[in-house]
Amino acid sequence: MQLNTKYHGTKEYNEKDVITFNKGIPGFEGLKKFILFSIEENEMFYILHSIENEEIGIILTSPFTKFKNYEFNLNNEKLEVLKINSPEDVLVLSTVTLDSNIENITINLKAPLIINKNEKLGEQIILDNESYLVKQPLTKE
Amino acid sequence: MLVITRKKGESILIGDDIEITVVKTEEGSVKLSITAPKSITILRKELYKEVEEENKRALNFNEDVLKEIK
Repeated sequence: MQLNTKYHGTKEYNEKDVITFNKGIPGFEGLKKFILFSIEENEMFYILHSIENEEIGIILTSPFTKFKNYEFNLNNEKLEVLKINSPEDVLVLSTVTLDSNIENITINLKAPLIINKNEKLGEQIILDNESYLVKQPLTKE
Repeated sequence: MLVITRKKGESILIGDDIEITVVKTEEGSVKLSITAPKSITILRKELYKEVEEENKRALNFNEDVLKEIK
Protein backbone atom coordinates (compact mmCIF):
# COMPACT_ATOMS: atom_id res chain seq x y z
CA MET A 1 0.00 0.00 0.00
CA GLN A 2 1.05 3.56 -0.47
CA LEU A 3 0.87 6.56 1.80
CA ASN A 4 1.37 10.02 0.34
CA THR A 5 2.60 12.08 3.26
CA LYS A 6 2.64 15.83 3.12
CA TYR A 7 6.17 16.32 4.45
CA HIS A 8 7.91 12.95 4.17
CA GLY A 9 7.28 11.83 0.63
CA THR A 10 5.54 8.66 -0.43
CA LYS A 11 5.89 5.60 1.76
CA GLU A 12 5.21 1.99 0.89
CA TYR A 13 3.78 -0.14 3.66
CA ASN A 14 1.95 -3.38 4.29
CA GLU A 15 -1.21 -3.78 6.29
CA LYS A 16 0.81 -5.80 8.82
CA ASP A 17 3.11 -2.80 9.46
CA VAL A 18 0.26 -0.66 10.76
CA ILE A 19 0.53 0.10 14.49
CA THR A 20 -2.76 0.69 16.28
CA PHE A 21 -2.98 3.22 19.11
CA ASN A 22 -6.37 2.32 20.53
CA LYS A 23 -6.37 5.23 22.96
CA GLY A 24 -5.10 7.66 20.34
CA ILE A 25 -2.17 10.00 21.01
CA PRO A 26 -2.69 13.18 23.08
CA GLY A 27 -3.06 16.10 20.70
CA PHE A 28 -4.12 13.86 17.82
CA GLU A 29 -7.31 12.36 19.15
CA GLY A 30 -9.19 10.31 16.64
CA LEU A 31 -6.06 9.06 14.86
CA LYS A 32 -5.32 5.44 15.69
CA LYS A 33 -3.45 3.93 12.78
CA PHE A 34 0.21 4.74 12.25
CA ILE A 35 3.26 3.47 10.44
CA LEU A 36 6.82 3.87 11.68
CA PHE A 37 9.79 4.59 9.44
CA SER A 38 13.30 5.87 10.07
CA ILE A 39 14.48 9.17 8.69
CA GLU A 40 16.92 8.82 5.79
CA GLU A 41 19.04 11.81 6.81
CA ASN A 42 19.64 10.40 10.30
CA GLU A 43 18.61 6.88 11.23
CA MET A 44 18.64 7.70 14.92
CA PHE A 45 15.25 9.31 14.31
CA TYR A 46 11.90 7.92 13.28
CA ILE A 47 8.61 9.26 12.03
CA LEU A 48 5.42 7.80 13.41
CA HIS A 49 3.03 8.72 10.63
CA SER A 50 -0.73 8.64 10.65
CA ILE A 51 -2.23 6.73 7.74
CA GLU A 52 -5.49 8.58 8.41
CA ASN A 53 -4.08 12.10 8.09
CA GLU A 54 -1.34 12.86 5.56
CA GLU A 55 -0.07 15.85 7.59
CA ILE A 56 0.54 14.10 10.90
CA GLY A 57 4.02 12.62 11.32
CA ILE A 58 5.62 12.75 14.76
CA ILE A 59 9.41 12.79 15.17
CA LEU A 60 10.69 10.17 17.59
CA THR A 61 13.94 8.76 18.86
CA SER A 62 14.97 6.12 21.36
CA PRO A 63 15.43 7.69 24.79
CA PHE A 64 18.08 5.09 25.63
CA THR A 65 20.57 6.36 23.05
CA LYS A 66 21.36 9.51 25.02
CA PHE A 67 19.98 8.55 28.43
CA LYS A 68 21.50 5.20 29.28
CA ASN A 69 19.92 5.04 32.73
CA TYR A 70 16.40 5.86 31.59
CA GLU A 71 13.92 3.46 33.17
CA PHE A 72 10.29 3.00 34.16
CA ASN A 73 7.90 0.23 35.02
CA LEU A 74 4.97 -0.93 32.96
CA ASN A 75 2.19 -2.18 35.21
CA ASN A 76 0.36 -5.43 34.53
CA GLU A 77 -2.62 -3.60 33.12
CA LYS A 78 -0.45 -1.98 30.42
CA LEU A 79 1.33 -5.25 29.67
CA GLU A 80 -2.05 -6.85 29.16
CA VAL A 81 -3.56 -4.07 27.04
CA LEU A 82 -0.49 -3.99 24.79
CA LYS A 83 -0.24 -7.82 24.82
CA ILE A 84 3.39 -7.66 25.93
CA ASN A 85 4.84 -11.05 26.85
CA SER A 86 8.54 -10.35 26.86
CA PRO A 87 10.91 -7.36 26.81
CA GLU A 88 11.72 -8.25 23.20
CA ASP A 89 8.20 -7.19 22.19
CA VAL A 90 8.76 -3.65 23.36
CA LEU A 91 9.99 -0.64 21.47
CA VAL A 92 10.22 2.59 23.48
CA LEU A 93 10.37 5.89 21.64
CA SER A 94 10.14 9.51 22.77
CA THR A 95 8.94 12.57 20.90
CA VAL A 96 11.54 15.11 19.81
CA THR A 97 11.03 18.84 19.37
CA LEU A 98 13.47 20.18 16.82
CA ASP A 99 15.01 23.64 16.76
CA SER A 100 17.45 25.26 14.38
CA ASN A 101 19.75 25.67 17.38
CA ILE A 102 20.81 22.13 18.29
CA GLU A 103 21.14 23.01 21.96
CA ASN A 104 17.43 23.82 22.08
CA ILE A 105 16.31 20.44 20.77
CA THR A 106 14.38 18.58 23.44
CA ILE A 107 13.14 15.05 24.05
CA ASN A 108 10.05 14.22 26.09
CA LEU A 109 11.22 11.72 28.70
CA LYS A 110 8.01 12.18 30.68
CA ALA A 111 5.72 10.60 28.10
CA PRO A 112 7.29 7.69 26.19
CA LEU A 113 5.45 5.84 23.43
CA ILE A 114 5.34 2.13 24.11
CA ILE A 115 5.02 0.00 21.01
CA ASN A 116 4.58 -3.75 20.89
CA LYS A 117 6.55 -4.49 17.72
CA ASN A 118 5.07 -7.94 17.31
CA GLU A 119 1.42 -7.24 18.04
CA LYS A 120 1.61 -3.75 16.47
CA LEU A 121 -0.07 -2.06 19.41
CA GLY A 122 1.00 1.26 20.87
CA GLU A 123 0.22 3.70 23.64
CA GLN A 124 1.77 6.87 24.97
CA ILE A 125 2.08 6.76 28.74
CA ILE A 126 2.81 9.59 31.17
CA LEU A 127 5.30 8.72 33.88
CA ASP A 128 4.90 9.65 37.51
CA ASN A 129 8.57 10.51 37.92
CA GLU A 130 9.63 14.02 38.82
CA SER A 131 13.12 13.61 37.39
CA TYR A 132 11.95 13.02 33.82
CA LEU A 133 11.08 16.20 31.97
CA VAL A 134 8.72 16.96 29.10
CA LYS A 135 11.47 19.17 27.70
CA GLN A 136 14.80 17.45 28.37
CA PRO A 137 17.60 18.90 26.24
CA LEU A 138 18.63 16.09 23.89
CA THR A 139 22.26 16.98 23.38
CA LYS A 140 23.36 17.24 26.99
CA GLU A 141 22.43 14.98 29.84
CA MET B 1 -21.79 17.99 34.41
CA LEU B 2 -22.35 17.37 38.09
CA VAL B 3 -21.26 20.04 40.54
CA ILE B 4 -21.41 19.23 44.24
CA THR B 5 -20.16 20.82 47.45
CA ARG B 6 -18.11 18.79 49.89
CA LYS B 7 -16.56 19.74 53.20
CA LYS B 8 -13.22 18.70 54.63
CA GLY B 9 -13.32 15.01 55.46
CA GLU B 10 -16.20 14.28 53.12
CA SER B 11 -15.96 12.05 50.06
CA ILE B 12 -17.52 11.25 46.77
CA LEU B 13 -17.70 7.84 45.19
CA ILE B 14 -17.40 7.33 41.44
CA GLY B 15 -18.57 3.97 40.26
CA ASP B 16 -17.80 0.98 42.44
CA ASP B 17 -14.16 1.52 43.17
CA ILE B 18 -13.12 5.16 43.04
CA GLU B 19 -13.26 7.35 46.14
CA ILE B 20 -12.15 10.96 46.33
CA THR B 21 -11.88 12.59 49.76
CA VAL B 22 -11.30 16.23 50.57
CA VAL B 23 -8.38 16.13 53.01
CA LYS B 24 -7.60 19.79 53.44
CA THR B 25 -8.75 23.16 52.14
CA GLU B 26 -6.84 26.38 52.44
CA GLU B 27 -6.33 29.62 50.59
CA GLY B 28 -7.77 28.61 47.28
CA SER B 29 -6.35 25.11 47.15
CA VAL B 30 -7.90 21.76 47.97
CA LYS B 31 -5.97 18.65 48.94
CA LEU B 32 -7.65 15.47 47.70
CA SER B 33 -6.98 11.86 48.45
CA ILE B 34 -7.94 9.46 45.70
CA THR B 35 -8.43 5.72 45.99
CA ALA B 36 -8.77 3.99 42.66
CA PRO B 37 -7.76 0.75 40.93
CA LYS B 38 -4.26 0.71 39.48
CA SER B 39 -5.66 0.54 35.96
CA ILE B 40 -7.10 4.04 36.31
CA THR B 41 -4.71 6.75 35.18
CA ILE B 42 -4.79 9.82 37.39
CA LEU B 43 -3.06 12.89 36.01
CA ARG B 44 -2.85 16.57 36.71
CA LYS B 45 -4.61 18.01 33.69
CA GLU B 46 -1.89 20.56 33.02
CA LEU B 47 0.62 17.73 32.58
CA TYR B 48 -1.63 16.05 30.02
CA LYS B 49 -2.00 19.41 28.23
CA GLU B 50 1.78 19.82 28.26
CA VAL B 51 2.20 16.39 26.63
CA GLU B 52 -0.43 17.29 24.03
CA GLU B 53 1.42 20.48 23.15
CA GLU B 54 4.78 18.73 23.07
CA ASN B 55 3.39 16.04 20.75
CA LYS B 56 2.24 18.76 18.37
CA ARG B 57 5.67 20.38 18.45
CA ALA B 58 7.15 17.03 17.42
CA LEU B 59 5.49 17.47 14.01
CA ASN B 60 7.99 20.16 13.18
CA PHE B 61 10.39 18.48 10.76
CA ASN B 62 13.73 19.97 9.79
CA GLU B 63 16.03 17.60 7.94
CA ASP B 64 19.00 19.99 7.96
CA VAL B 65 19.02 20.06 11.75
CA LEU B 66 18.65 16.28 11.92
CA LYS B 67 21.74 15.81 9.77
CA GLU B 68 23.82 17.62 12.39
CA ILE B 69 22.80 15.48 15.36
CA LYS B 70 25.02 12.54 16.20
